[in-house]
Amino acid sequence: MAVEIPKKNLIPNFDYQKEASRWRNVFKILTEPEPKMGHTPRVEVWRKNKSVLWHYPAKQRKYEIPLFFVYSLFNKPYILDVAPKASVIEGLTNMGYEVYLLDWGSPGYEDKNIGLDTYIEKYLRTAVKRAIRHSGAKEITLVGYCLGGTIASIYASIAEEPIKNLIVATVPIDFTAFTGPDKWAEGLRNGDFNIDHFIDVYGNIPPQYVEGMFRAIGAPIYFTNYTMLLNRAHDSKYVDKWRRMNKWTLDQAPFAGEAYRQLAADLFKENKLAKGELVIGNKRADLRNIKANLYVISGSRDNLILEEQSKPIMDLVSSEDKTYIVVETGHVGLALSGLFAKIVDQWAQSRSNQIS
Amino acid sequence: MPDNNKTYDPFEAFHKYSLLWEKQINDFIYLWTNNNEFVKMANVGTEIHSRYLETMKKNQEALAGVLNLPTKSDVTNVANLTIQAEEKIEALEEQVWDLQDSVKAQAKEIESVVEVSKEIIKLTKQLKTELVKTKKELTDSRNVYEELQEMKFEIMKLAGVKEELESLRSLMEKDMKAPELSGAGSSK
Repeated sequence: MAVEIPKKNLIPNFDYQKEASRWRNVFKILTEPEPKMGHTPRVEVWRKNKSVLWHYPAKQRKYEIPLFFVYSLFNKPYILDVAPKASVIEGLTNMGYEVYLLDWGSPGYEDKNIGLDTYIEKYLRTAVKRAIRHSGAKEITLVGYCLGGTIASIYASIAEEPIKNLIVATVPIDFTAFTGPDKWAEGLRNGDFNIDHFIDVYGNIPPQYVEGMFRAIGAPIYFTNYTMLLNRAHDSKYVDKWRRMNKWTLDQAPFAGEAYRQLAADLFKENKLAKGELVIGNKRADLRNIKANLYVISGSRDNLILEEQSKPIMDLVSSEDKTYIVVETGHVGLALSGLFAKIVDQWAQSRSNQIS
Repeated sequence: MPDNNKTYDPFEAFHKYSLLWEKQINDFIYLWTNNNEFVKMANVGTEIHSRYLETMKKNQEALAGVLNLPTKSDVTNVANLTIQAEEKIEALEEQVWDLQDSVKAQAKEIESVVEVSKEIIKLTKQLKTELVKTKKELTDSRNVYEELQEMKFEIMKLAGVKEELESLRSLMEKDMKAPELSGAGSSK
C-alpha cells in the first residue's frame, strides 16, 4: 500500500509580502545614496585648522548654562545628530539647551605633531572660551563622550574657565582594565610591541588602521551585522537605522600621530591620568582639581569601555555633587538611540540655571 | 501539531547560525593570538613594514629632489605656515576682544561718572534754589526784626506816655483833694 506524503508540509509557508519588502529594502541599500546625517540647524562659531565649533541654538532657550560637547578623536561626532527624532543634539535643543559641539576634524599629514597638549590647550580651551563668549553665559557644562570624556576630564582638571558641570559617558579614565586580549595589553606595557617607528613613518594613524584596531580588540571577524540586516530587512525603520550606524562605523577619522603616542604611552602604558601624574603643557592634570558637579554614565553592555575604567573617576575628583549611573545599553547605543539627551537632561536641568 | 499560520523565515536561522560561527571564529582567533609569541611576531611585522615604508619614503624624497618636485613634507611645511598665521590672527582677535572688553568697561565707568555728575548738578541746582529761598527768608526776617524793633520803640514810647498819664492822674487826684480842706477851715 502506497503512503501519500502531504506535499504542502514539505514546502514551507512563506510570507511573500515580507519577502518582497525584504528584497526591496536590500535593493535600496545597494542602489540608493547614503543617508544624510546632521540635520539639526547649526551655525559655525569658530574654525581653526580642521576643527570647527558648531552652535546648535535652542528652540526656546530655557537654561542659562550651555552644553559643550567634546567627542572622541577616533570617530566622527555626527553620531550625536544621526537621525531626526533619534538625535541627541536635536533632543537637547528641543528641551531648551544651547548646545555647542567641537568637531575635531580629520587631521592631515601636517597635523602629525598635534598632541593631547595641543588639542586641549589650543583647541578645546579656545573653543570653550568662544562658546562662553558667544552664549553670553557666565559658566558652561562640559559633556564628554568616550575618549572625548577623557579629554574633557583632563581639560577640566587644568581649566581656568568657569566649568560648572562635567558630564562624561562611557569614559576611559583608569586604563588598567582592557577589553582585548590580555597578552596584547601586557606586550604594549612591557615594550614587546612598540608603535613609535610605525607612527614616525605614517605621521598619523590612517583610518583603516584605527578601524582595524577596534575590530581586533572587539571582534576581528564581524559579519553578523549583515546577516542581522538580511534578517530584518523587511523593517524599513530598522534598515534606515542600520544604514546610518553602518556609515558611521565605517567612517573612522585618522588619529594624529603625537596624540596617539601620548595616548598609548602616558594613558595606556603608564596610566598617568588615574595616578594624577599626567602633565599637559606645564600643568599637572590631577583629577583632584575638578570641583565641578560631576555626572558619570556607563553602559552595562559596553564591550569597549568597561565600568572599571569609568568608575574610578568618582573617587579621584574633589566634586561634592557627583552622580554615577549605569544604563542598559552598549557603547554607541546611548548616542544612536537619542537616549543620551534624556539622561543628560534629567541631571542637568537642575544645574543649568533655568531662565524664569 | 504544527502551526500552519506561522510563516517560515529562512534568514532567522541563518542569522542565528552566523552569530554562532562568528563567536566561534573570534574565540579561536582570541586563543590563537593571546600569547607573547604572537605579540612579538606582530611587533616584528610592524617594524619590517615601517622600515620598508621609511626606505620608500626616503627614496621618493630623493627622487623628488632631483626632479624638483614638491613632496608631502614640503606641502606640510606650507600648511604649517598657514596654521601659524591662523594662530596669530586668533591671538590678535583675542587681544581685540580684550580691548573691546576694556573699552566697554571704561564706557560703563564713564556712564556711571556722568550719572554721578548729573546727580551732583541736580543737587547743586537744588542747593542754589534753597539758598535763594533762604536769602529771601533772611531778608524777610530782617524786615520783621526791624518792624519788631520799631514796635518795641513804640511800646517804649507808650510806656513813657503811660508814666506821664500816671503822673497826671496823681496830680489831678491831688488837686481834687486840696480845695475841700481849705474851704472847711474858713467857714469856722
